[in-house]
Amino acid sequence: MADEKLDLPQGTLDLLILKAVSLGPVHGWAISERIRDVSKAALQIPQGSLYPALHRLERRGWISAEWGASDNNRRAKYYELTRSGRSQLQLEANAWRTLTEAVSLVLDMG
Amino acid sequence: MFNWLSDVLSDLRYRLRAVFRRSAMERDLEDELQFHIEREAQKLEAAGLPRDEAVRQARVAFGGVERIKDDTRDVSGVSWIETFGQDLRYAIRGLRARPAFTASVVVTLGLGLGANVAMFGIVDQLLLRTPPYLRDADRVHRVYLTYTYEGKELTDGFTEYARYLDLTRLSRSFETTAALASNRTAIGVGEDASEMTLGIVSASFWSFFDAKPALGRYFTASEDSIPAGAPVVVLSYALWQMKYGGSRNVLGQSIQIGPVPCTIIGVTPPGFVGIADEGPPAVFIPATLYGYGVSSARGRVDYYNTYHWGWLSVLARRKPGVTLDAANADLTNAYRLSWTAERAISRNTPTLEVARPRASVEPVVLARGPNASPVAKIALWIAGVAAIVLLIACANVANLLLARALFRRREIAVRLALGASRGRLFGQLLTESLLLGALGGLAGIAAAQWGGSVLRSLFLQDAVTVDVLRDVRTLAYAGASALVAGVLTGLVPGLQAGRASLIPTLKAGAREGTYYRSRTRTTLLVLQGALSVLLLVGAGLFVRSLHNVRALRLGYDVDPVLYVRPNLRGMPLPPIERAQLARRLVDASRAMAEVEASARGISVPFWSTEGLGFFVPGVDSIRRLGRFTVQMASADYFRTMGTRILRGRGFTDADRPDAPLVAVVSEGMAEAVWPGKDAIGQCIMMDSRSAPCSMVVGIAENIHQTSLEPEKLQYYLPIEQIRPEEASVFVRVRGNASDHAERVRRQLQKIMPGAGYVTVTPMREIVDPRQRSWQLGATMFLVFGVLALVLAAIGLYSVIAYSVAQRTQEIGVRIALGARVRDVLRVVLGEGLRFAITGIVIGGGVALWASRWVGPLLYSVSPKDPVVYGFVAVVLLAAALMASAIPALRASRVDPNVALRAE
Repeated sequence: MADEKLDLPQGTLDLLILKAVSLGPVHGWAISERIRDVSKAALQIPQGSLYPALHRLERRGWISAEWGASDNNRRAKYYELTRSGRSQLQLEANAWRTLTEAVSLVLDMG
Repeated sequence: MFNWLSDVLSDLRYRLRAVFRRSAMERDLEDELQFHIEREAQKLEAAGLPRDEAVRQARVAFGGVERIKDDTRDVSGVSWIETFGQDLRYAIRGLRARPAFTASVVVTLGLGLGANVAMFGIVDQLLLRTPPYLRDADRVHRVYLTYTYEGKELTDGFTEYARYLDLTRLSRSFETTAALASNRTAIGVGEDASEMTLGIVSASFWSFFDAKPALGRYFTASEDSIPAGAPVVVLSYALWQMKYGGSRNVLGQSIQIGPVPCTIIGVTPPGFVGIADEGPPAVFIPATLYGYGVSSARGRVDYYNTYHWGWLSVLARRKPGVTLDAANADLTNAYRLSWTAERAISRNTPTLEVARPRASVEPVVLARGPNASPVAKIALWIAGVAAIVLLIACANVANLLLARALFRRREIAVRLALGASRGRLFGQLLTESLLLGALGGLAGIAAAQWGGSVLRSLFLQDAVTVDVLRDVRTLAYAGASALVAGVLTGLVPGLQAGRASLIPTLKAGAREGTYYRSRTRTTLLVLQGALSVLLLVGAGLFVRSLHNVRALRLGYDVDPVLYVRPNLRGMPLPPIERAQLARRLVDASRAMAEVEASARGISVPFWSTEGLGFFVPGVDSIRRLGRFTVQMASADYFRTMGTRILRGRGFTDADRPDAPLVAVVSEGMAEAVWPGKDAIGQCIMMDSRSAPCSMVVGIAENIHQTSLEPEKLQYYLPIEQIRPEEASVFVRVRGNASDHAERVRRQLQKIMPGAGYVTVTPMREIVDPRQRSWQLGATMFLVFGVLALVLAAIGLYSVIAYSVAQRTQEIGVRIALGARVRDVLRVVLGEGLRFAITGIVIGGGVALWASRWVGPLLYSVSPKDPVVYGFVAVVLLAAALMASAIPALRASRVDPNVALRAE
């Protein structure tokens, strides 16, 4: 089922998670769903990396977590972007755009 | 700006939560992952799958829950702390399960570390530590003066007060200079008078320290001005506490220092010792007060403008930015100007061209300066030796751990096969050895605390004592060396375990655990043997030096002789009465039953010498022959001292001032001055060529007056004919002088007029410091050498015993095939001896190579002395034989039936 899956370049997983979390409090499953939906299923985050990444970002203070009730009334852990997470997202997003633009320029050459 | 800080804080918060609320976090993680799977299942269910199938697919898609948990935990930073905790618990369990093994390791490390910690304390005291309260210590120096005298270059740390004034005035590189000396002097009067160390310092001395007086104030430049200074005194904190109970009323009170009553004006802060060259001073007085009044009851009027009396050290603080070279050049220039000034008033002073005077700034601590006593050097050597002992101890422990690791090879292989990472295994072994290191460190601190006081009394004598447990520097050193020992011992078995190859180990049954000769273990063993040889050779060389120095005939007896010095405490006594007092002292001592003989003499071997100008008819320049020393002595002097008269006679009561002038010369002087002639009957003229003849009436053996090197130019004059008022006395008792010193003192004290008193010093105490460095070297090398040998023997024993245990089957087979007990013994003993011989060869080689540095510390022993090397080789071979004998006997008793059936 993951035939079409793209390999995520190093470091982009954090960027994607930060972006997904930036839209409001969200739990782990919803993050992976959100990314898959928005990327038209091109990007699938392996669960094996998602949770370690979430905990790593929490440790670095870029996202914070709180337990709350989910839409079907189950206990779920919600992640939210912190202030330093917001600036980190900006930083990484800009860097990504610069990089992709530069790469496109090179590819379009000639 | 503070991002990194908040990052660090959130990181820390997260980790702490992870550690302390571990079970809660674990539950949360479980919940979070289950929630994910549940939602995935709900989604699939909504798409039409049956509930069971939905859950199954959700789980499959999610992957291994446990692995994800592991990965998340790793990220959470909890793992290394947790791992360490696990390893630690595991190590403690392991060590408690084998108390004998643990105890032997802890004791071994404890001995090695204890030796090191104790020696560090001593070296730190002697060499490293700057005096307490000293400020800008890197710019503070002691001044040393170098000049050439009779073709020899001499460097002196002591000089005259006039020179101190010159150097201060004529140099530009220094912010401040200070004069500094110490001396033992009677302090107090009557019953509580006792000799204590006097700190003699210029007023500028106090500005070298950041030390506020605990009470009152220090003396000022106006109280330390030439000629006489002011009679003021600053008490040390210790004396203030001891003698005055810390009372604040001491200010203004009077205390007698030598002949001068002084007013107490202040108290130093606790722990302040100034620059304690001769132990911490009890009181501090102005240098000018000492120079003028305390040193001499009559008042010395010329100490500050002549260059006769060198008694003080000069301290100097360099201006910031002035280099050492610039300071030395500037100081040398000042010294040369001062030298010229000296020549202007003293015609005997050699010219600048001959004397080539130069000055240099050197470390403040005497032991680091150019004239350091051999004790400091020996302390460094012993510290090196202690480090070697620690190395041996570490090698031993590493060997024991290695043996354990080899026994655990299968266990380790199984764990590797089950997926434990090699890093984790390594960490575990390292944790174990670090724990052992920590335990050994504790044992070492205990050993240093207990044994250290013995060592300190050997090296430092009356200097400040250090309590290991309260000294932060020593404790820090103990901790660091325990850590290093832990890592060193853990590294070897750890690496070995990491290398273990799985399959052969797993395949091999217990029986096929074929004899495994570890090259690492062999190397460690040979290393231990070599190091023991090195230390034992050192011990042998020092023991022989000590023996030689002890056996050396000094030219007088040491053990039965006491030196008695009357001290009139400045009471002016006419010369005639002084002479009478001296005679009464001799008579009173002769009246005692235990006294065999007593006589007067003015110079004391190793303490003081006298020189007089004299002439010999027919000899042009007597000084060309070298330096002559003279002793002025009374009747019976030679019998009292035990100096043999080879020919002619010694002095008698008949050699009075009105009798013909006579002299006794040493054998060496007789040969040097009148070669080929009989010295007896010859004439020497004191002071001038026109003086009356002193006829040589006897020839005495050569004595060691100033050093343990051969000396020979000595002569003796009757004290009554030349300086009858000198009052010091030598007393020869039956048996050991120290035992009678106190009785003699009491008896003679009765004769002293007024507040006068006598000090009685056994000659042994005067001579011993000269032999102390060899005594120290011999004792310490021997103690550490034997320690090293024992450790090495234990190491050898454990290795041979292990190899015998490993080879039980092989030996069984041999015996079954007809090998005799003798053959088995030979195989096992041969193995032990091979180790020993390799160790002897390597250690002996290193010792020969290192010998050139020990040479100067020895006394008439070649550092390549074949007797010492031979003896050490025999000792090591014997130790190796003993260590392998027990396992060899065990091997010879192997019952082939048992050995072969065992599986």
